[in-house]
Amino acid sequence: MNRQQHDEEVLIGPYVLGVLDDDEVRRVEAHVRDCGACRQEVSALREMETALGEVPPEAFLDGPPPGGDLLLQRTLRRVRTERARALGRRRTLAGIAAAAALAGVFWAGTAVSGGADPVALPPVPPSPTATPPVPPGTRVASATDPATGARMTVRVTPAARWVRVHAAVAGLPPGERCTLVVVGRDGSRTPAGSWVVGEAPPTGKGKGVSLDGSAAVDPSRVQAVEVENDSGRRFVSVPLPA
Amino acid sequence: MAGPLWPRSRRGSTDEALIRAVYEEHGNALLAYATRLTGDRATAEDVVQEALIRAWRHADALVNGKGSVRGWLLTVVRNIITDRYRAKAARPAEIAGSPATPPVAEDHADAVVDTVTVLGALDRLSPEHRDVLTELYYRERSVAEAADTLGIPAGTVKSRSHYALKALRETFTEDQRPGAPRQSAGFREVTA
Repeated sequence: MNRQQHDEEVLIGPYVLGVLDDDEVRRVEAHVRDCGACRQEVSALREMETALGEVPPEAFLDGPPPGGDLLLQRTLRRVRTERARALGRRRTLAGIAAAAALAGVFWAGTAVSGGADPVALPPVPPSPTATPPVPPGTRVASATDPATGARMTVRVTPAARWVRVHAAVAGLPPGERCTLVVVGRDGSRTPAGSWVVGEAPPTGKGKGVSLDGSAAVDPSRVQAVEVENDSGRRFVSVPLPA
Repeated sequence: MAGPLWPRSRRGSTDEALIRAVYEEHGNALLAYATRLTGDRATAEDVVQEALIRAWRHADALVNGKGSVRGWLLTVVRNIITDRYRAKAARPAEIAGSPATPPVAEDHADAVVDTVTVLGALDRLSPEHRDVLTELYYRERSVAEAADTLGIPAGTVKSRSHYALKALRETFTEDQRPGAPRQSAGFREVTA
């Protein structure tokens, strides 16, 4: 693109940041009205200004919290306790089925460090402490579809003879009209909600989403939760062990 | 794989060193953020403790991931707080056995992607560009104040902030190139 350098062009950045004085604002706005290239620049840089808003200002504080390290000590104590508990469990396991335990550890290792998307962090599993009590029978599972790249973590909470479904979905193509489907053991497919995948500026990728839905499926009959689009294409299926 | 075979003491000191390092480097940011969101210092400390524990559990991802560690931690803090509020809000409904609520899409998950991505992109700017954006945007300084703090003329503050935003845009464009490493955690955690 061959365009001349305008004096005003370099003011577009501070203009979208909102730090110019009134005279300068008027100057930029008058110029932008007549200059298509600068109009584009305004919208491009405004996207960046919006993106900056995703980062909280506290992100720029460094160092440990002021006022001593009681919080650190408390955390370290808890880690020691959890580790001791985990070691105890491991010893028991070792006695019964050492090979199986090792296989489990191996699998966990590859699940974290391997896969199609090596940088993405895994969804964090439910923690046994410091979270509200979980209704009995709640199941949490996640899966990544290697073909579509779609990822989902679901939590299925039993109600009387139906289920609440909470799903966090990412990696879907923007613009898709998607349905969250609860699959029964008999093959029945019950929709639990639908949405349209948004586009995440500035990357243009599909927006991740978290959804709360429900389905009239008996908790004991739930076999899987899936995401499909309106033409029936399945993006990801998360099997739920009984 | 070394997990169960490691001597206990060595494993222990590594764990503690990791948590200590994360706390020393990011503790202030995490606690200040949690305090603002919860409005309560004691609750904020609980939240930060939980976030540090999660960092410890996911040490592999934390150490090997290419995104911003601080972005990941801040995201974890926000998720813990959101999930606590949600759990509180949901409980009376559980008792009442309320009818099915329509699914609600939240921006929560999107924001998760972006804090990590944007902070990662800021990390890759030159210090001059990062500083000018930090002053003007995050510290909400005027051009004159930023000029004073940074020791440069006001005109330079303006032009530098312009080029800083352009450079930021460049780093995002790089991320989008095929084969470029993904920056984002891309996934909201579910705490049951």
